Amino acid sequence: MGRIQLENVTKSFGDVEVIPPLNLTIEDGEFAVFVGPSGCGKSTLLRLIAGLEETTSGKVIIDDENMTEVPPSKRGLAMVFQSYALYPHMTVRKNIAFPMRMAGVDEDEQEKRIAAAANALNLTDYLDRKPGQLSGGQRQRVAIGRAIVRDPSAFLFDEPLSNLDAALRVGMRLEISEMHNRMQTTMIYVTHDQVEAMTMADKIVVLQAGVIEQVGSPLELYHKPRNKFVAGFIGSPKMNFISGDEAAKQGAHTIGLRPEHTEVSTTEGLWKGVVGVAEHLGSDTFIHVHDTGLAETFTVRITGDIAVRHGDTVYLTPQAEQIHKFDTDGLRIV
Amino acid sequence: MSKRTLPRLLQTPAVLLLLVWMLVPLGMTLYFSFIRYVLNSLRRPEWTSPSLSNWRGFGNYEFVLKSKDFLLSIQNSLVIVCSILFLTVILGVLIAVLINRAFPGRGIVRVLLISPFFVMPAVNAVLWINMILDPVLGLQGITVGSINDMVEGLRNAPLVGWFFSLWPELTPISFRATQTSALAVIIMVTWQWTPFAVLIFMTSLQSEDQQQKEAAVLDGAGPWSQFRFLTLPHLGRPIAIVVMIQAIFHLSLYAEIEIVSRGNGNKNLPYLIGEFANNNIGAASATGIFAVILANIVAIFLLRMIGKTLME
Repeated sequence: MGRIQLENVTKSFGDVEVIPPLNLTIEDGEFAVFVGPSGCGKSTLLRLIAGLEETTSGKVIIDDENMTEVPPSKRGLAMVFQSYALYPHMTVRKNIAFPMRMAGVDEDEQEKRIAAAANALNLTDYLDRKPGQLSGGQRQRVAIGRAIVRDPSAFLFDEPLSNLDAALRVGMRLEISEMHNRMQTTMIYVTHDQVEAMTMADKIVVLQAGVIEQVGSPLELYHKPRNKFVAGFIGSPKMNFISGDEAAKQGAHTIGLRPEHTEVSTTEGLWKGVVGVAEHLGSDTFIHVHDTGLAETFTVRITGDIAVRHGDTVYLTPQAEQIHKFDTDGLRIV
Repeated sequence: MSKRTLPRLLQTPAVLLLLVWMLVPLGMTLYFSFIRYVLNSLRRPEWTSPSLSNWRGFGNYEFVLKSKDFLLSIQNSLVIVCSILFLTVILGVLIAVLINRAFPGRGIVRVLLISPFFVMPAVNAVLWINMILDPVLGLQGITVGSINDMVEGLRNAPLVGWFFSLWPELTPISFRATQTSALAVIIMVTWQWTPFAVLIFMTSLQSEDQQQKEAAVLDGAGPWSQFRFLTLPHLGRPIAIVVMIQAIFHLSLYAEIEIVSRGNGNKNLPYLIGEFANNNIGAASATGIFAVILANIVAIFLLRMIGKTLME
């Protein structure tokens, strides 16, 4: 079990309210991702759930039990930190054993669980090494191992992949997703990387300045962003926003168009522009178009390759059914 | 000029300085320790100037080994150093952990805690032995006296009088006495050097990883377990440094011993050297060589111990 509810939770540091009243429910077995720009309060929210920060008001409920006043170790949650937070003078084995040692689990049971965790995480050969002798990815796995052996009702991940290089990050992302599929335990994952959010989450919680902007499945957020912030945050490259006459024609204050929802032609189209930078990735091409009269830069993404270079003139045509419309408050017009 | 010549040339001044600075005194000490050399002798005026014709072989060493204070001074050197190390490290860790937390006035408290370290050793000794430890006029004498007076007064009180009449009269301890003078030295040097340990441990505590502590909190570690399994191992290296530096300093304590008891019942090797050096330079030099050997033995032990912690 691992159903986590936040009821009117607020958090202030001194006079600064970083999280205004907030309600959220994470169902048992769900993979929830908190995503948002730096300083949006996503880590604070995670720490409130873990109990590392005290709530200013409101309730943290885990499995229908009010855990607001319960100390972190008694909440049945395990956390994986960005810096791994391994104990540097202990071997991998002792690191993984530490929570069990603190809980007074007997030695045989400890050995059994360590072996199982090491096996699952490919750490068996490294059990007698110190964290200093491991690579970043291995350290991260030790941190996860330390969390697994506690058999928690939910895992909390605080930007666990930000210290890894790009290739390793993709690998670990898969491993964590597979771990979730296998264990079916609730996981809450904090990241500023929308790609991680999109690829891993069952449910994404988009935060800005402590406020939940939208909660939904990755595709829901992609197809039906509730407002301009979510629309701009989810998707890569970012959505293009156009205001003014073009938007007024559609009966909106601002319209948004994703780079992948625009046709490009060198001969004809609705809007005309000049290519600034064309990024050829082979599978895709990102073209940054200037002088369209719509926005300073208009980004387009097309599948495959197209022979355009800096300074070429291109014509853009939006896919009419993929245009997102927003009103003056930035809210989506249905 | 070959590739190595220039670096060697550049090293030369430092090497020469080191030779002059260290080897010349050591060589002279060795030389003096093998000859008869006294500052003043009416009977044998030829001994008053160092000369190879006064060769004594290991005679000075025998003389030192047979002198009644030699074993006492070796033993005292070790007892004093070890006690001070033990006390300063424990007190240092406790105080550092205590003031590592935020509380109002922390800055002032820290400055006050460090200040004993800036007192000159001789002043420190005079202050302690006269103002604090003195059995009559010092804080100790006054405290013991007033406790005795209070108990005396309460003996005649109704109801509780029988309880206080069971109390013995306290006698203040004289710290200049043969049995206690080493203790006085240990107390005052510990007071002076605990701030040094606190300072080193405090800086080290500030570099402790807070996420590790949070991880430990989530893992169910209480304050004691956090201290035992995280803070103490984290302090391993600074403890080794404090032990090494202090051992170097405290093996050569002199002023405190001189002021507390003038060596009465409490001599260490440097003090013994000082006593011999009043006249018998030969014996003083021989004692000096013993001191070098002792310091080397201690250094080997310390380096082993520190090497271990540094390797971890």
